[in-house]
Amino acid sequence: MSKVRKYSFYALLIFYSVITIVPFLWSLSTSFKPSEEVYQSNLIPDAPTMKAYATVFGKIQPNFQTLFANSLFIACVVVILHLIFAALAGYAFARLRFPGRDVLFFVVLGCMMIPDQLRLVPMYQVLVKMGLINTGPSNYLAIFLIKAISAADVFLMRQYFLTMPKEMEDAAKIDGAGPFQLFTRVMLPNAAPVLATVAILTFQGTWNDLFWPSIVLQSPSHWTLPFGILQFKGQFSTDWPPIMALVVLSTVPILALYTFGQRYIINVQLASSAKG
Amino acid sequence: MGLTKQKSLLLSRKQKEAFVGYGFVSIPMALFLFLSVGIFFYAIYISTFDWGIMGPTKNVGLDNYRKAFSDPIFLKAIRNSVKYAALVVPIQSALGLYLALLVNSKIKGSKFFRSAFYFPSIASSAAITTLFIFLMAPDGVFNGVLRFFGVDTANLFNQGAWLSDSRTALYSIIGLNAWTTSGTMMLFYLANLQTLDSQYAEAAVMDGASRRQVFWYITMPLLKPAHLFVVATGMIGALQLYDQAILAGGADGSPDYSLMTVVLYIYNACFRKFEFGYASAIGVILFVIIFSLTLLQKSLFGSGAWKADN
Repeated sequence: MSKVRKYSFYALLIFYSVITIVPFLWSLSTSFKPSEEVYQSNLIPDAPTMKAYATVFGKIQPNFQTLFANSLFIACVVVILHLIFAALAGYAFARLRFPGRDVLFFVVLGCMMIPDQLRLVPMYQVLVKMGLINTGPSNYLAIFLIKAISAADVFLMRQYFLTMPKEMEDAAKIDGAGPFQLFTRVMLPNAAPVLATVAILTFQGTWNDLFWPSIVLQSPSHWTLPFGILQFKGQFSTDWPPIMALVVLSTVPILALYTFGQRYIINVQLASSAKG
Repeated sequence: MGLTKQKSLLLSRKQKEAFVGYGFVSIPMALFLFLSVGIFFYAIYISTFDWGIMGPTKNVGLDNYRKAFSDPIFLKAIRNSVKYAALVVPIQSALGLYLALLVNSKIKGSKFFRSAFYFPSIASSAAITTLFIFLMAPDGVFNGVLRFFGVDTANLFNQGAWLSDSRTALYSIIGLNAWTTSGTMMLFYLANLQTLDSQYAEAAVMDGASRRQVFWYITMPLLKPAHLFVVATGMIGALQLYDQAILAGGADGSPDYSLMTVVLYIYNACFRKFEFGYASAIGVILFVIIFSLTLLQKSLFGSGAWKADN
């Protein structure tokens, strides 16, 4: 590569990195600015203040801790549900033979075609009939039910189990292990990477979801972070530092998760495009 | 222990396998049948009723569907969604491909740049859109940059109010989502690029092909799987636009319905007008559009993913 080419190449990379990173630095900076400084073009605040954080941790109702706890609680339960159901069904579809298996798997693939927006009205009607659209704790069950299972995750787990070498099972079979023991002793311990992928993507998707929480969650004490941001953005229309504090605080956990689990996310992108 | 041994004598290995198989898929299948299949048919059922807050009143057949296509706001929502998809899909795909080519070359720091480019794709749409609204405000950073380059933003046709002017609101959201989704598209392209055999390009270079020729005649055709995947997922995602629209324009898709999308329209019909039958019909229409696009994608890809391999 010629020198000029090389430098222009790096200039381009750095230019686009600035476009992707600086907006986030700006939200971080704004969250530490006093209101008078919000529209000034300095990235480092002249008079940094923690006022915005004091507001989101203390003054707003529900406060950040509540939003965070709700987001975490909902995301963790959904992750556990997805892991259990995807592992069970993925294993059965990949490795066990039983009459009607392919028809059932075809139904799973069909479920991938049904968009959430089509489910909105009938799901809401069903939840109302079940008495889960309320301001009490059972309101959480509505979210868990909607998100209980993901066809894409079942598909992903099945694909993974299909690629696992049969010899691994054979050794255990000779030792007299039945299909259930094979699952718990051989398949699951060797499925850690794909389980991590499912867990990370499900966590990210649930943590970031605005659509279902904005429709189902009735009481402010149940709001999640994205729903809280939507609500407070309306309330504090011009008071940007607290909103930016919420933006920063809601992004940090997902950033940490991404940094920690990057290889699993890239794995799945590879997997999903390979399947296409 | 003795009991299990007895059982295994009674059931053949094959029967046992089938037994465990049904046990494993029973709860997942029950959930799919309820949460997706049942809900799907219930949506169609609801869509044929005049269904208000007190429940169904009368069966109206296909009237809800007819009503949709005579409502100017719904037609506006369709136009917006199509316009949005038509612009955002090519931009995010081209940008994703370009970024993938940039970080795929063997350079120092390519890992850092890959992470940096993917970064906007990981945060929540609520956080990113809120940040975007702040940056695009009349006194915000975007206009500050324009002024730095000598643009008189106060005298622009929209006075620099990008999101509150109906002529620029949708285009601003297109810019936002091209920025946030191009990182994901980059990963899809990268995945495809890494499977490419370099011998074709090398052979072409030996035959005297220019860098540009190698790209257009060798690399681009070999990336066909990624092109199709990126365009199909992009289109489906674009038709489901909701978060950014409600954050920037509220439930009305303000200003002047310029951010009204099909999904936002469903939301309004359902939770502001309580016309559940009508809202369900719009959901079915959206499903038909997305389903057709998915079938198109599957037929372009071949049916490999559809067969349960043994």
